[in-house]
Amino acid sequence: MENRPLSPHIQIYKWHISSLVSISHRITGIINFFAITLICIWFALMLLGESNYQIIKNFLETFLGKFILIGITWSFSFQMLSEVRHLIMDLGYGFELQTTKITGLLVIFGSIVLTILIYLIGRGLI
Amino acid sequence: MVQLSLPKNSKVKKGKYFKDKTGSKNLRKINIYRWDPSTEENPRIDTYEVDMDNCPSKVLDILNKIKNEIDPTLAYRRSCAHGVCGSCAMNMGGKNGLACTTPHAEIDGDIDIYPLPHLKVKRDLIGDLDGLYKQYQSIEPWLKNNSTKQTTEIYQSKEDRAKLDGAYECIMCACCSTSCPSYWWNGDKYLGPAVLLQAYRWIIDSRDEERKARLKKVSDELKLYRCHTILNCTNACPKGLNPAKAIAEIKKMLATANV
Repeated sequence: MENRPLSPHIQIYKWHISSLVSISHRITGIINFFAITLICIWFALMLLGESNYQIIKNFLETFLGKFILIGITWSFSFQMLSEVRHLIMDLGYGFELQTTKITGLLVIFGSIVLTILIYLIGRGLI
Repeated sequence: MVQLSLPKNSKVKKGKYFKDKTGSKNLRKINIYRWDPSTEENPRIDTYEVDMDNCPSKVLDILNKIKNEIDPTLAYRRSCAHGVCGSCAMNMGGKNGLACTTPHAEIDGDIDIYPLPHLKVKRDLIGDLDGLYKQYQSIEPWLKNNSTKQTTEIYQSKEDRAKLDGAYECIMCACCSTSCPSYWWNGDKYLGPAVLLQAYRWIIDSRDEERKARLKKVSDELKLYRCHTILNCTNACPKGLNPAKAIAEIKKMLATANV
């Protein structure tokens, strides 16, 4: 009796848009937690002197630094849009299967578009 | 605690291969989860080559064909074969559903058939649903009316009756609850979509007098709020019901009512 195996679960279950958005919401949430901490440390360092600002600025201009910056921008964008989706759901709307698919796709593509927009605005290109 | 990998005794191994003996040209490979409680061995995946020229349209037909013509040791639950009883709920092609209403043409490539996810397996495709039934019992799924004098029928308006649509049709097949990651990790405490849909069905019944007590009972960090609107449940329901929406409605009632 006690030796009964546990049937496979996450290993075999098919992903769909809503479950992907849901897990990404959690992951971006964790990333944002660390991102905000990082930004706070940066600001704190700035208070301690101009040279500290320069060190971090130099780092952020490397490839890795840019990757982190764009990653954080995407992560914030995704979290924000997904949170709006969840807010609407908490009001009891948008539970029809077709609607959940559309809003899920909107979150995924919207976050990418928003990242590009923020990048372009930040660079002063638009 | 979230356990992503399977325990040691549950790791799935490669099993037997049943080659086609009919000489048919229209073959499909069916991979089925097998576990025999009489041995000490781990579960395995057996592969069957099935002649699709002589097989009706549903996944259950394939299972019947395998059991009747290829391997009589295969064990699975089935009864009505018309999507009414909920016995043949299982995981096909990575998605939960009823074998008797799922067309095999809808699944691409080889067909993988597993028991409902994250259950203790009794044998082959049969999972242990006792925990879910106990939770169902805990929400007291019957009409509660405190009046002792009433001897006649309790009337219900058409509008009030319409509120039960989408909730009373549930056949308790457990496709939704066993598709829910929250239920996988917290199934001992979180009630899960199937039971919460039924809790909702009794909360909104105009004839029931225990509405407040029912709401209070499910108002619990673990019992109810483990739902994170992943929506696997609504995606899985073979009856086209929407447990996720029912859970959201309960949350809404709790947020607005003074319970």
